[in-house]
Parts: sequence; structure tokens; C-alpha cells
Amino acid sequence: MTPGSLASSTSDLQPAPGIETPHTEREVVMFPQGLPGFEACKSFVVFAADAAPFQWLTSVEGPPASFLTVDPRIVLPTFRYALSAADLSRLKVADDAPLLWLAIVLVDADGTVSANLRAPIIINPATMTGHQLMPQDCLYPLQHLIYTPAA
Amino acid sequence: VLVFTRRRGEAIIIGDGIEVRILRVGRDGVRLGVSAPMTTPVHRQEVHEQIREANRAAADPAAADPAHRASVEALLKARLP
Repeated sequence: MTPGSLASSTSDLQPAPGIETPHTEREVVMFPQGLPGFEACKSFVVFAADAAPFQWLTSVEGPPASFLTVDPRIVLPTFRYALSAADLSRLKVADDAPLLWLAIVLVDADGTVSANLRAPIIINPATMTGHQLMPQDCLYPLQHLIYTPAA
Repeated sequence: VLVFTRRRGEAIIIGDGIEVRILRVGRDGVRLGVSAPMTTPVHRQEVHEQIREANRAAADPAAADPAHRASVEALLKARLP
């Protein structure tokens, strides 16, 4: 189960024409715990951004919240993340199921673009359930630089 | 807030399946052993707080506006070939 092999599953999540429009049940990913800091946001849609390979992860219920995301394997080809038994049980997945991996992207005021590889989001397309991982021991930075503006 | 006095080797039980045991007491640290069901997340508070803060910083409040999304996407496209 490597994140890189999962990029193709993004296409299973149909692009939403605009987040104001209602979504079919099939497109909505449930986050039973919400996201840390956004615990009230439990339903999200994922749709491809115009700028490949980024996606938008947008709350469709509860307070508005949108995140730009990217597959962590794209920004760090060596990215590996061992899912704990608790993570697997929370997503209701077998340990060989294909998962969609998303790292939240931060676009800083100064133009720096980074991805949060420490706490990636995983989505099980089979159950349309998602969860943000919280590592016990972390290998990866909260802000993995993708782009630094020239000084 | 409930306050307990516990000695090394003693524990408290929370709810049905969570046990917090004092393993070692040092000068300025206490080593705890937490046994909880697989489905109960257990994290150091600062790790949780760090990720909350990162999420809040990255959340884009204007992203409901397609024009705003387009401008962010244009910026990314310009910078990342």
C-alpha cells in the first residue's frame, strides 16, 4: 500500500463543478472525527484543482473549510507511512486496500508553498471514509517545502 | 478536574477500557503507561495542538469563491512547472 500507486483513485472522486452546488452522496467523504481544529466538519468533497496535481478538500457541512491538498508521494517520492491497527480499524480497511493520500498544502503570505507530511489525510474510496493521521513518532515535517520564492 | 495521588505502579481506570499507570516518577517527568482500546486515539497533547494549528493556518476561508480558487491555482501553476 504505497501512496504513489493510489494517485489514479483520485479520478474515482468526481470533480465537483463548484462547491455551492449540491453533491451526490457518492461524492461526499465522511470524516467521523472531523479534522483537528475543524471537528465540526464531517463531510467533505475532493475535487481536482485546475493546477495539477493539487486537489481541493472542501467541507460541505458545518463551518466552511477548504484545503488545498496534494498526494504526499508526488512532493516526496520516498514518502512512506505505516498505518497503525487503530488507523486501519478507524477507516474500516484491510491492510492492502487502495487508499487516497492527501497532504494539506499551505500557501504562505510570502508565497512559500509547503505540504504537511506529518499529518497526512487518508481516504478509503471503498467506504468514502476519511481520517487525518496523527503520528506518535514523526519522521516528516509539518511544512515540507514545495516552493520557496526567490529572495 | 479530578485530582488523584498515585504511587509508582498504581493506576487509574477511565471508562470501560482505559488504564493509565504510573511507571516511573523522576525529578521533572513522569512515565505513564496507557492501555486503551485500539479505536481510542491517544496522543501527546502538543502533537495534537501542532496539527490543529497547521490545519487552521492552511484552511482557506475564501475558497468557496471560484474566482479565489482560480487565483490560487494560477499562482501554483506559475510557480510549479
